Parts: sequence; C-alpha cells; structure tokens
Amino acid sequence: MAKPGYILLKLVEVGVIFFVILTALFFLFRLSPGDPISKMVDPMLTPEDMAHLIQQMGLDRPMWEQYLIYVKNFFTGHFGVSFHYGEPVANIIVDKLKWTILLFTTSTFLAAVVGVFLGKIAAWHKGSRLDNVMSISALVCYTLFIPWFALLLLWILGFKLGLFPLGGVLSPALWISNAPLIVRILDVLHHLMLPLMTLFVINLGSYLLLMRSSMLSVLREDYILTARAKGLSEKVIRNKHAARNAALPVITSVGLSLAFSINGGALTEQIFTWPGIGRELIFAVSNNDYPLAQACFLLIALVVLCANLIVDLLYAWLDPRITY
Amino acid sequence: MGQIGKRTNPFRQLRNREFRIYPVLRAVVMLGLIVAGLFSCSGSKEPPFLKIGLPEEPRSLNIWLGTDANSRNILSQIYQPLFRRHPETLEMIPWLAKEDAVFNEKELTYTVRLREAKWSDGSDFTSADVLFTRQLFADFKIPRYYSHWQVIENVVAVDDHTVVFHLKEPSAVFLPRVMTAPMVSKKEWEQVCKEALATEKPLRFLQDYQVDTPLGTGPFMLHEYQKGAYIHMIRNPHFFGLGQTIGNLTLGPYVDHILFNIYGTSDVAILALKKGDIDYYWWDIQPGYLKDLEKDSDIDLHYNKKSALYYLGFNLRKSPFNDKTLRQAVATVVDKGFILDRILQNHGNPMHSIVPAGNRFWHNQDVRKYGEGMDQKTRIKAAWQMLVDAGYSWETPPVASDGTLTKPSDIRLPSGEKMEKFVILTPPADYDPKRAFAGTMIQEWLRLLGMPAFARPMAFNSLLETVKGKHDFDAFVLGYGKLDLDPGYLASFFSSKNDNPRDWNMSGYRNPEFDKLAEKQKSTVDLQVRRQMIFDMQAMILEDIPYYPLYNPHIIEATVNKRFAGWVERVDGIGNIWSLCMVKPVD
Amino acid sequence: MLNKYFVSRFYKGWQIFIRNPLGKTGVIILGVFMIMAVASFLVPLIDPMYDPMTGIDPDIKLSTGPSFTHWLGTDNVGRDILAQLLEGAKVAFIVGLSSAFFSIVIGTLIGMIAGYAGGLVDAFLMRIADIIMVLPSLVILLILASLFGQFNIWIIVFIIAIMRWPAVSRVIRSQTLSLKHRPFIEASRVAGASHIRIVLRHIMPNVLPLAFLYMTFRVTSAILVEAALSFLGFGDPSQVSWGMMLQWVWKSGHMFQAPYWLIPPGLCISLLTLAFYMLGRAMDEVLDPRLRKEGQAE
Repeated sequence: MAKPGYILLKLVEVGVIFFVILTALFFLFRLSPGDPISKMVDPMLTPEDMAHLIQQMGLDRPMWEQYLIYVKNFFTGHFGVSFHYGEPVANIIVDKLKWTILLFTTSTFLAAVVGVFLGKIAAWHKGSRLDNVMSISALVCYTLFIPWFALLLLWILGFKLGLFPLGGVLSPALWISNAPLIVRILDVLHHLMLPLMTLFVINLGSYLLLMRSSMLSVLREDYILTARAKGLSEKVIRNKHAARNAALPVITSVGLSLAFSINGGALTEQIFTWPGIGRELIFAVSNNDYPLAQACFLLIALVVLCANLIVDLLYAWLDPRITY
Repeated sequence: MGQIGKRTNPFRQLRNREFRIYPVLRAVVMLGLIVAGLFSCSGSKEPPFLKIGLPEEPRSLNIWLGTDANSRNILSQIYQPLFRRHPETLEMIPWLAKEDAVFNEKELTYTVRLREAKWSDGSDFTSADVLFTRQLFADFKIPRYYSHWQVIENVVAVDDHTVVFHLKEPSAVFLPRVMTAPMVSKKEWEQVCKEALATEKPLRFLQDYQVDTPLGTGPFMLHEYQKGAYIHMIRNPHFFGLGQTIGNLTLGPYVDHILFNIYGTSDVAILALKKGDIDYYWWDIQPGYLKDLEKDSDIDLHYNKKSALYYLGFNLRKSPFNDKTLRQAVATVVDKGFILDRILQNHGNPMHSIVPAGNRFWHNQDVRKYGEGMDQKTRIKAAWQMLVDAGYSWETPPVASDGTLTKPSDIRLPSGEKMEKFVILTPPADYDPKRAFAGTMIQEWLRLLGMPAFARPMAFNSLLETVKGKHDFDAFVLGYGKLDLDPGYLASFFSSKNDNPRDWNMSGYRNPEFDKLAEKQKSTVDLQVRRQMIFDMQAMILEDIPYYPLYNPHIIEATVNKRFAGWVERVDGIGNIWSLCMVKPVD
Repeated sequence: MLNKYFVSRFYKGWQIFIRNPLGKTGVIILGVFMIMAVASFLVPLIDPMYDPMTGIDPDIKLSTGPSFTHWLGTDNVGRDILAQLLEGAKVAFIVGLSSAFFSIVIGTLIGMIAGYAGGLVDAFLMRIADIIMVLPSLVILLILASLFGQFNIWIIVFIIAIMRWPAVSRVIRSQTLSLKHRPFIEASRVAGASHIRIVLRHIMPNVLPLAFLYMTFRVTSAILVEAALSFLGFGDPSQVSWGMMLQWVWKSGHMFQAPYWLIPPGLCISLLTLAFYMLGRAMDEVLDPRLRKEGQAE
C-alpha cells in the first residue's frame, strides 16, 4: 500500500499547479495593456494625479519586486486591498461568497437529486417513449444557451407574470421596515427562485444524462443478474442495487463538472444581478481591479483543484488497483 | 461520460446512504408555495420614504475614493463645499460660506466668512476645518483638488468663522474650482491622516480607510448601508440650510428619509419606476424606453441640457489628418441634423462649439460653422471643392463634370500619393450606441467623397489606451458626459504642453497663439475679459478642427409624480442636491 | 482500391447514422442553419440597408416589430434582425468549426505524442491537460479578453481551441496506447521506420475517426463559449454574432419590450448546439459497435 506516498504526491502536484496558476495570473495582469486608472476620463484629473495614483497603488515598482510582494502577501494571508472599493479583498469576497454558495449549493443539490431520480427511471425504461422524451429534454436542457434561457425566464416569469423579482437579493422596503426574520428569509428565497431555476434546469440535463448512462452500465454488471436470479423484485433491484451504485459517480461528477458550473454561475449572476463572486469577477476584470480579480480567480481555481483532488483521492481509496 | 462510466466499479461496495428524494421534493414544493403565498399579500405597508434608484453599487463611502457617479450621488448629500453653483443662473453662490468672497487685488487675497454651520454630530464647523481640509489636500496630493489648490500660498484663520486665502498668483478658477472642494471635519480625519502619513503610501491608506458613517454638514446623513442592496439616509437635523433661503430657494429638506435602491441594470430600475417602487431613477434614460414611459400618466419626464461634449477627434500628428483642409472638408460632409434626428431621436442639440450651448456664459455661438443648412448633395460638392482647391485628386471624382454625384475612386493627396486606408475608432455599441453609430455614419459620408474610411468599434479601455496612451490612431469618436461648467478644460485639451502620451491633448494640436491665450486666461480674474479669451479660443479650435463637435444629447430623467414633487431642473438634470433639498411630499 | 474501401465503409456508417433519429434531426437542423449561413452572403446584395452591421433603414428610428420589409423586425437603430441572424449563423459555423478543428489538431497531436512516447513526456503532457481541463474556460477568456481589450474573432477561436484540447488528447492517447503494441506497429518499427513515420502513417489513420467524433462535441462548446463571451460584452464589437445580438437587446434596454429581438438569437444558439450534439451522439453509435448493438436489440 503506497497510499500515504500517493496522497503526498497528489498534494505536491496540486500545490505546484496552484503556484503556476498564481504566477501566470500575475504576469497576465501586469503585462496586459491598460491599468486601473486608464478608464478614467475625467478632465479634472491631471497626468500628475494619475502618476501619483499609480505610484500609490505600487504599480510603478519593477515587475519582479511586485511579484515577490504578491507571492509573499498571498502566503501570509494578505490578499490585498481592492483598487476599486478600497476595501480588503478578503472582506469583499466573504461578503459575495455567501450569496454564491447559497445559489450554487441549492441549485447543484436539487439538480443532482432530481437528475439522479429521473435518470434512474429513464435508464430503467430504456428505449421506451418515456426514456426518449426524458433523454431528448435532458439534451435540450444541456445545450440551452444559459443567458438566453435566463433572460426568457426573467421576461416571462418575472416581467410578464410578475411572479418573481427581477434582480437583486432582497427587497429594501421590506428590510428597513424591520420585518421579522422569517419574512426576510423568505424574501431572499423569493429572489433566489429565478437564478435557481436557471441553474437547476441547466444542471439537471447533464446529471440526468450522466445518471442514465451510469445506470445502464451498472445494469450490465453481473451482480444485477445475480440479484435477478435470486428472485428479488424489480423495484428492489432498481432502487437498492442499481441506482445506488450508479448514483455515486454522478455525485462525484459534481466535483468534475465544477468548471462548467462556474461558467454558468457567472452568467446567471450577471443577468439576475445576484451579488455573487462570478458577477464580482466580471466587474473586477472590466475595471482592472487587479487584487480583487486575482483573488476571485484564485479562489475559483483553488476550489476546482481541491474538488478534483478529493475526487482523485476518493477513487484511489476506493479502488486498490490505482497506484502511482 | 464514458470515462466516468468506467470509474463506476469502486462504488459497488458502498451501500451506506439512502437517497431520500421524495421528502426533499416535497419540501421544495412546500417552500415554493409558502413563498408565493407570502408575496401575493405583502408589500402593502410602506413608510413615507423618498425612494431613489441607483444604477450600481457606490464604490466607497470614503470621499477620497468614491469619485464615481453613484458614490458622488450619496456623498454630495453629506460633504459640502464653501461655494456652489446656483441651479438656474449657474453663478457661484455662497454655500458653507456666509457671503460672497471678498477679493483684494493688491494683496491677492480672498476673505471668506463662514456660516454658523454644524457637523451632523452637532459639533461646530469652523475655520480650523477649512485649514485642515487644505492641509489634507496638500499632504496627500489628493487627485482633482491638489493641483487647483496649489494656487494658494497660505490660508489664515482670522477667527473661528473667517478665513483668508493668500494666492500665489491671480486665478480665474478660484471660485469654480478651488472653492467647490468638499470640506471635511478635522475631528473625523485628523487621526486617520496622522496614521496615513506615517505609512509608505499615504494616499492609498487614506483612500482605503473604511468610513462607516461619513461626517458632513449636508442635508442628509447615512443611517444604514446594506451592501449590494440599499442605502438608507435620514435628514440631518443640524443642516445649516434648513429653512434658510439660499439663492432664492427656501431649502428643506422636506423629507425625513431617503432610500437608495441599488439596481444592477436599467431595465429593472425602470420597471421599478413604472410600478412605483421608486420615485426617481438617478440615471440618464435611453430613448428606447421613452415611448413606453410617455404613455404613463404617473411618470414625469424631465428633459434637460447636458454639459457634455461628443466629438470627432483627429490625429494631427500624421497623414492624412495633419492637413487642415481635409479636416474642414470632413466637417463639411458630417450631417449633424441626421445625427440629431436618427441617433439622438431629437433628444439633444447639434453642437457647434467645444463649449456646450447649455453653458450660456462661456459658449461662443459665432464660431465657424461647416455645412450649415446644406443638403447632402451641396455638402459633398462644397467639400469636394475645398479638396480640389487644396490639390486633392481622384481617379473618378465624387462630382462629375455635369455636376451630378458619382461613386468616387482613388483619392490622392496633394503630394500625389494615394490616401491610405484610415480608421475611425468608436466605443462599442453596448457602451454607447450613439457614438458607435455616429462613427458608422461618418464612415459612410466620407466614402461618398472617396475616402477609404473604416469605422471600428473598440472596447473602451483599449480605445483609450490607443488614443490617449499611445497616440496610435487616425480619428476617433469620443465624448465627455459630464463636462465641468468652467471652460478651463479648453486649455487641457488643446495646449501643446499637454501633447504627451496619457495627457489630455489627444489630437496633438499645436498652436502657439492658442497656447498663449490658454496660459493667460488661467490668471484672468475679470470675468468679461476671460470670457472674450475663451471665445477666441473656441473660434481657433473651430477653424483648425482638432476636434469637431458633433452633438450634445439631452439628459432625460423620470420621476413618479404621485408621491413627491418639486424637483429642481438644471443643466445636467434633476439629480442634484437642490432637488433633494426641495422635494416635498404631495398630499 | 483503398478508396473504394473507405467509400463503402463511409456509406455503411452513413446508413447507420441516418437511421438514428438523433442523427437525422441533427442533420436537418444543421441543414437549415447552413442555408441561413449561405443566405447571409446574399441578403446585403438586395439593399445595403440589409447589411447586418452598417445597414440602417432610413425610415425607421426605433426598434420595430416584424413587418413586410423586416420579417423579424429591426433593432433600435433600424438594422434588420433577420439579416443579423443570418450573419450570426455564418459566424457560429466559422467559430464552431474552426475552433473545433484547431482543438482536434492540437489534441490529436498531443494525444499521439503522449501515448507513443510514454514516460515523462506522457506524464507531463497529461498533467497539463488535467490543469487545463478543470479550468473554467469562459472565466479565463473573460479575463484575457478584458485584459487585452480587443480580441478579434479569430483570436477568440484560437483561445477556445487551446482551452478545449485536453479531453480529445486523453481519448486519443488511450487509443494510441492500445495501438502501440499491435504487431503491425512493432513490425514497422523493426523494419526501421522512424517514429514520425509510424505516428503519421500507422497511428494517425486509426485515431482520426475518433478525433472527428470529438470534433462535433467541441463545436458545441466553442459556439456556446463565444456566444457567452459576446453576450457579456467581451466579444469582437465589429462582428455581428448571436451572442452580440443578445448583448445588444439586453444592454439597449429592449429586453422587456422587444421579444421579436430577444427570442431568435438565443433560440438559434441553442438549436445549433443541440444539432451538433445530436450529431455527435449519433456518430458515437456509428463508431462504437457495442452501443449500436444494444440500441438495436431493444
């Protein structure tokens, strides 16, 4: 058993990859044209003012010096101060992260649960009309263009029918009138519905298809035949034997499909003005707010790398055949 | 998917957890029902707030950092200057100052008497605060203020409410630029400044300082700020203008609470306006929404002139636009009427001089005008004639010998060289459709003269980098949405000393005569004399055309008339401190 | 003779392919979009006002709904929406196919090299593939596009290709690994064939069908990423595309007022990606006999 060695190796690997991303990101930001003040078109601002601002941001230092400061700060837990908001990046991220986590976890969880459930049924009735309808709809969900779907939901459910708020996370009028906590929670959930629906539908498609194919491959396994031979009821075989085993790769694929979800999450947040990390990243990037954009991106990279690490380790732990 | 399928085996042994799908689903449906039920009956009870929509989150409540429009909207209710412009006459009137500043020409001093004002915590506003603010500008080289305040040699507090400013030299912009700086409280900032000055990067430290409750003298103060959602401001009981008549307006404020709702997009904010969720949306409304809003009797639309400049700029450093005649010919074929009609949908004015017409005192209306009153055919003929006289030639000229227009080809410079293809840079259509389409139209008009013009939309910061940073361009369409009412920017835009990368003279205009005037007007205190100089400068620009002004859109704003009335209209719209001091609830 | 073999093989594959309902639907939808793409060349010839970027109807000032002269209406400056939609089809094909092609080329080359060379080279290349595979491509493109300001459509195509090769190279690598020790490869090696020759002559022909299968899936993601990028305002502003159209309707404030403008571009993006995806699945069955037999058995 070379397990500890393997884990160590994996950890080192993730560390190296992360460092490479960290470095690449720094040079990408510094070598690109433009800087945080290049967008300011205020004739009141003299070139001396601009030079002063640049100097105060520490952007006039030699590149390598900036880089060393950047790396040192990162490893001592100083993520810097946002150029745009003038607030420590860590505060901003914590502030935004809670909204992203709320949206992301609920939509992923719901989509996975429903996707596993429907995928199971589709696979069980393979080839039937039900299966065809479900597979095709899942395919359609999977290839839907997220922003368009989000805008349509906004237009129909939000605007035409007026069922849901059109953006933001809460209704200020409700909050300043000191509404009870439960009302506030429900208010946030009400705002959550549209972005949640968008991400749910998109994710549902991929989970359903994944579950279906995973279930089909499980159904071919010997132990299902054994179970059948033992005379167990079809329902028991489906739910207890097949589905449970087929669902696990779907659950772990949450980790693997994280990158895809992040893309979709950024778009959804942008459309529904959901003040999460994805929207902030887009905003920071278009403002040349280096510290904030870097931190947002590194956070995303870190989450993705860790999720993959966990999946890898899980497989290694479960499958003794994997050695390094 | 295939890959994941192959990895299924290891999980066969794992049978520990049951997936409870039905209970979860049931819970979700229940939750949905509760939410739907709750919101069908909520939203009836509302406190008497003035509700204003903001398009974006303010950058910061720290006045040294919050220089964006949204932060300014909030902070300008809190931090006040000594003088400000009257909304109607646009003259400088005393604000935190008690009366007009007394100028002593011999000593070069301004004596300013201060009002008996109080900060919102109840402490007195005194000369010490003015001196402190001045010192702060100097110590931290605060952008936008520092350079103007440099004209001040020394400030002396005669008593608690009298301050004397000693100037190094006469300054034309003492009132409009120096005295309009916001005054800050010594109490609030002294400690922070001390700490900041001890650091390596004082300005950055100062700007990054977290201000939770800004201390000001203005009509409102901050009550609560829920990031990403709203800002709640309440009336400042110590506001010096309360019940006072300043510039023949009797100030309130007449509302106790303002709620600023932060929206991410205009769509949502305008819908909120229509639903009556907000009383005013503090942003310019695009003409696309107007048809819909005009129908609504609950909504008032406010059309005001804007102190703005949208123009076609040329690169005078290189061929082909280093030739004045060519620039004049281009100006002749540009159909401002068309731009106004089609691109602005008639919500604006054609612009003839660099200083907008809304700025009545400084605008020179007798500058040279191009193509005035001509139809397209005459324009092309006139421009063609100008070019022919200057030695330009064509393979097929735009005007045939019998006077009819033809499709021209191969325009040649007076030197006999072929005119190289050139690019008119514009911002992308999503940033500003008006400028993007103006660029496209200009391209079409220039092609009628046989010029190889190509309009190209470019992401805004690359555009600035190319035009302002590198000077690597032929022509561009840009603009300033909020131009200062003092015409000092003429000197910034066109003085040859500003012809450096990243500096304001983007065209590379160099005219010693203009430079002389630009220098001289800076220290001309006599308004009428300075006005004449500014007029002459405008005339020079419109003769040489480094920039060719195109249009000046109206600012269009919308308010709901059911709950509040009394918005104060001025150049740049109703979004100003006067409005918030004057708006009253309607019964 | 070789040609004849390929033709008959292709014909057989096509038979299976077209019998598959997914494949059939996909081909039909693709056909419609191809006609649209071709039509985009013709429309501006009718009248310059139908130019998707610069054509402006002289009689229209605001966005108007469908009419006889503008079947799908106009945008807020009087440009024809149908003309833009047709142009968008062309751009989507260009973006999708070319970026898929680049990513297949890169992915196949790297996959073959990694599989054939093995050892450190293999480990190194596959680690890189792993990193790139887990990164969110849209976010990366977003950062690049906003940092470097102006990307024209070809640079976007190329970056998408660079972001999307790893999945291909993994599959090609495993295919190469299984081929590597086949007798005919061993034989040519003994016969003194160079590595390049073995890779190009013996391995490549055998992995290409698989590469083409993956190409259809790459097309899907390339179209989606380009559209998303344009939608967020980081696309090529001088190029009409479906994502750009959605961006215009969104940013110009016509989202709630002009459904005739909001619906078509997104529908086209979704349908086209769906068509390519269906094509891929159908091809999957052609190339994987195991799937096919199962499909027909039930």
